Amino acid sequence: MKVLQPCAGLLTNHEVFQLLTDRGAMGAVDVSQGGMGPAAIECQVYRYLCAAPAATQTRAAVAACTERAASFGLTRAETLQLVNLRPSQPVEAHLIISDCEMRLPGDRVEQLLQAVEETLPAAPEVEGTEEEAAAVEGVEFWQMFLCGA
Amino acid sequence: MFVLTEMEDDIRVAPHDLHRPHLTAVSSEIKAKYFDKVLRNVGLCVSLHDLQAVEGGFIFPSDPGPHFTVRFRLVVFSPFVGEVLVGRLVKCDATGLSVSLDFFSDIHIPHYNLQEPSVFDEEEKLWVWKFNDNDMFLDMDEMIRFKVVSVKYPPLPVEQEKGATAFATMEIVGDINGDGLGLLSWWS
Repeated sequence: MKVLQPCAGLLTNHEVFQLLTDRGAMGAVDVSQGGMGPAAIECQVYRYLCAAPAATQTRAAVAACTERAASFGLTRAETLQLVNLRPSQPVEAHLIISDCEMRLPGDRVEQLLQAVEETLPAAPEVEGTEEEAAAVEGVEFWQMFLCGA
Repeated sequence: MFVLTEMEDDIRVAPHDLHRPHLTAVSSEIKAKYFDKVLRNVGLCVSLHDLQAVEGGFIFPSDPGPHFTVRFRLVVFSPFVGEVLVGRLVKCDATGLSVSLDFFSDIHIPHYNLQEPSVFDEEEKLWVWKFNDNDMFLDMDEMIRFKVVSVKYPPLPVEQEKGATAFATMEIVGDINGDGLGLLSWWS
């Protein structure tokens, strides 16, 4: 086992969410040995991301947001967090961007939040995700019962 | 929060899997070997992103399973220091808070990294942030926003006493002392 590159690239939460959706993580956990269905960890990450802003985003929205944010001089890590967390208030933007008052003086923070608001869709509602989480949990409980775990 | 890690490994496909397409068989082997495991100094493996190269398929003496040299990329949970994450508060005690992301629960916020001034309410067994004469309770199962201070990979213990909690191979230390950090409901 060799780790060729520990960090070959950063992934947005949305990209991981998309990958897991393609692997069928919204369905039941595949407990069979050597099956090609989703593993337990993938279903758990999927459930976590369902409640995150990543769940409602699209590739095009993320690309648009990254393009708009480029004019503000953010680092890669800051742009990544901007997309992942979708800040809606100045206090959240100050949290993500270091030295915010110096780098984005005056109205710039508001303009950045405006750009995020316009390009990225709103984060999912809590009620909807609770239902979804309950549905996934219900299925997983059944699986546990079947396996006698 | 997630990174791509490029790996190379020697994967043996069991003989009873030879009827399947070899890419599928190799992916299942990788799933069994890597998913939900922590790679030291890298992070927690969550999923397989793609297979980049599968070479070999050699059969060695007295081993019926073919061996492939596989280059692949894994999706790894590996937060960087200074990253802001949102998790659920699961445990409160005198040493601090325990936060859980659904798939990862070894996140600890020590008492010195809480908003100042915070006190531990012995009756309710909850931490309270005394902000401008308001008592802001850190209630259980609330969503909490925190900053990553460090990601540690403690070495395996040689001996563990009976009844000790399961050993954590990857530990994250968090911080909620700052504007915008703490319960989401405080800042919305």
